[in-house]
Amino acid sequence: MKIVVEAKNIKKVYGTKGNVHTALDDITLKVHEGEFVGVMGPSGAGKSTLLHCISTIDRPTSGEIYIDGIRITNLDEEQLANFRREKLGFIFQDYNLLDTLTVKENIILPLALARVDLHELEERVNQVAKTFGLDTILEKYPYQISGGQKQRTAAARAMITKPTLLLADEPTGALDSKSATDLLESLKVLNKVERATILLVTHDAFAASYCDRVIFIKDGKLFTELVKGKRTRKQFFQKVLDVLSALGGGLHDVV
Amino acid sequence: MTLFDVAKKNVIGNFKNYLLYFVSMIFSVVIYYTFVSLRYSPEVQKAIESSDSILNIFIAGSVVLLLFVAIFIFYSNTFFTKKRKKEVGVYSLLGLRKKTIGRMLFYENLIMGGGAVLIGIIAGTILAKLFTIMVLRLLEAPVEVSFGVSIEAIVNTITIFLLISLVTSIRAYRLIYRFQLIELFRAEQEGEKVPKASVFAAIISLILIGFSYWLGFQSPKDNIEILTILGLFLFSIVSGTYLLFRFLTVFLLRLVQKKKTNYYKGTNLIGISQLLFRINGNARTLTIIALLSAITISAISVGYSFYYMNEKQAEKASPFSYTHISVNDSLDREIEDVIRADREHQLIGRMDIPVIMVNGDISSPLLQDYLRDGPIKIVSETTYRKALEILGKTYDFKLSNHEAIGIRPLLTEYTIDDYKGENFTLQFTDQKLTLEFRSLVEERILPWSYPDFVAIVSDELFAQISSFVSPVTIKAYKVQDEKTTKDTTLQLKNVASEEMRVTTFYEIYREGLETGGLNLFILGFLGLVFIAATGSIIYFKQLTEAHEDRTRYEILRKIGVSKKEIHTIVRKQMLFVFGLPFIIGVVHGLVILKIAANIFSVLIGSDLTVPIVVTTILYFVIYLGYYLLTLSAVKNTVKN
Repeated sequence: MKIVVEAKNIKKVYGTKGNVHTALDDITLKVHEGEFVGVMGPSGAGKSTLLHCISTIDRPTSGEIYIDGIRITNLDEEQLANFRREKLGFIFQDYNLLDTLTVKENIILPLALARVDLHELEERVNQVAKTFGLDTILEKYPYQISGGQKQRTAAARAMITKPTLLLADEPTGALDSKSATDLLESLKVLNKVERATILLVTHDAFAASYCDRVIFIKDGKLFTELVKGKRTRKQFFQKVLDVLSALGGGLHDVV
Repeated sequence: MTLFDVAKKNVIGNFKNYLLYFVSMIFSVVIYYTFVSLRYSPEVQKAIESSDSILNIFIAGSVVLLLFVAIFIFYSNTFFTKKRKKEVGVYSLLGLRKKTIGRMLFYENLIMGGGAVLIGIIAGTILAKLFTIMVLRLLEAPVEVSFGVSIEAIVNTITIFLLISLVTSIRAYRLIYRFQLIELFRAEQEGEKVPKASVFAAIISLILIGFSYWLGFQSPKDNIEILTILGLFLFSIVSGTYLLFRFLTVFLLRLVQKKKTNYYKGTNLIGISQLLFRINGNARTLTIIALLSAITISAISVGYSFYYMNEKQAEKASPFSYTHISVNDSLDREIEDVIRADREHQLIGRMDIPVIMVNGDISSPLLQDYLRDGPIKIVSETTYRKALEILGKTYDFKLSNHEAIGIRPLLTEYTIDDYKGENFTLQFTDQKLTLEFRSLVEERILPWSYPDFVAIVSDELFAQISSFVSPVTIKAYKVQDEKTTKDTTLQLKNVASEEMRVTTFYEIYREGLETGGLNLFILGFLGLVFIAATGSIIYFKQLTEAHEDRTRYEILRKIGVSKKEIHTIVRKQMLFVFGLPFIIGVVHGLVILKIAANIFSVLIGSDLTVPIVVTTILYFVIYLGYYLLTLSAVKNTVKN
């Protein structure tokens, strides 16, 4: 099966000499096409740093990252912008919607930037709006809708370009449990039906239980990896909790 | 830790916010004080007593400036308070009593206001001097305007700003009472709301502006009528412009949004929607900029017109740089030596103009009325042609022996029809000679003296007349850069005798400047103050907005918008924010000029195209400079 993400020996060091902090220490990982992978770990473990490196927002100190076969660690600024637009979709904890645009305009933004023709644009927006249950609020502004709706709008914006890889950074962090479940269900549908490749960073065991595979990191190093296999979601959830308690200090992060 | 310590630490911690607010206030004080101290300078005071038009300029200028200052301060205050809501929330959370917090904010605001007035007045005094020197240099204006420290100006400024500070301080005091604790913490999150489009208000705005333009084209009869029209005009143009920016722009932007094929292309989506969201907050600023631009353009145009008209007038009154009547060879040579010795003003050409002065009658009552008993001056065709050559102009007539061409007398508006076909009869001691006017030309060659009635005749005829009356020889010199021939002019006056009637371009030009000098100075000064005000208000406003927009641009970067595209978005938005008020400002400015032409008698009936075009281009260049400066500052802010 095709490999979408391949990270080799990633190292990320912050600070200057005298006060050096190693956020990522020799991390290697692969994500295959159509996989739904979770990254977990306690606060400060380096989850977000890893995601930032993969999402090209930050550069690793050493090591190489390939996405869809392209070595992203030596692309320049302009190339990266294009790369992000064409290959990646983002969902952030704080939504990152533009408050000056309506829900619909927020969703079509990536297509508008790519100058996709109007007809196709309308078609695609209707399609993703249906997937995420946003049909009725398309003309509303972000300040008029709920947190769950905002996050689903962000997910729709991420998915409308049919990206090679969808990156989600604590997407359920600011949501109530009902909205969180809705969002995760939508992501699962995307993964199963449209075969979207998803990389999800979270410290919420419930969210992680929706993944096919969960990678645990601690103090910047790979700790262990858990594969869902034939387990039900509930069984897998229990497994995740077990690892978290072994990880130490993780329990209080659980829902 | 006492309350004072907390406040002190706060000022240091939030230095950047405080600084921006403080600088805005100081700036407002400087602009206002500079203007007021001009008004209270003794020279202007005297001029106001004798001239209503100057008073009118100052009334209109004060209104606009006060509006500008008040809005500018309120805007910065709102921005500043918004930034500090969270901090106020923390105090409240820590258990400080509302009254204590309120009082702290009140005093803090008042102290900042007081400090701004103090620094502003000191800086204003220096700046007023600087401005004065600049304007005097620029215009080589001969007026003395002394900027002593005027008590009235200081009192006036302090009163105005104390009032404004008091209002903002009370607002600051009320802050803690106006909001729930939770709202204070959310302050930075609350966004502006999308403005509603109102076609009705958009139409009203056009009607108001149309009405003010109509008023501008009325010709008032007396001072009361002027003041009424001026008041109505100010009201309708200010409110109309505001509504225009507040509603008509929303209407137009909405229209653009409706055209999806264009709106959904590239970065248009982001730029247009951001503009739309900003209209509520921007309408006031855009209004102020448009009005300031209008006033700047009209003030400088009028000032420049005085200057320009004066030069044109001087050129007509004394076409040559120096002229004198030839008395004897040695004195003539002495004069020539003085002129040739002036290396800075190279001689373009010199010639002798023989003129015959003879009494006569004209068949036209109109012209006879002008001439009265004065002599008709006669020059030959060859002389006239040669003179025009030196002056860089051409003459293409060929006169027969019974024809003549008139040169239009200065300060009259006679046309060819008044001259053509009319006869005039020259009276000699023992005979008469009747000639017919064939045409009228405008280019003058002789210095002005009343009656300014000159006729050109053929060379043969001139020779024939010379046998009856011998001509007077006028020596004429044309030099380069004649505006600066002060030294030579003074020397000539020393050398020449009274009967030589030395006329110099410089003298006439200078005299005109001196009579119109104060007007020129005031308008030039106003122009400079307003240019400074416009530029800074745009710069500040755009920069604070850029700070607020930073998160938006960060989001865009994250979802893959390139730097180049972000720069395009910024550039397009700024083009709108700068361009629209400029265009409206120019149009308003033209109407204000029309009103000014009604008020200033000197400008009535004169062609102001050149001054207006030059001023507009000049203003455009300065404005473009502000645009580029702001653009680079905003780009820088957005980048980080």
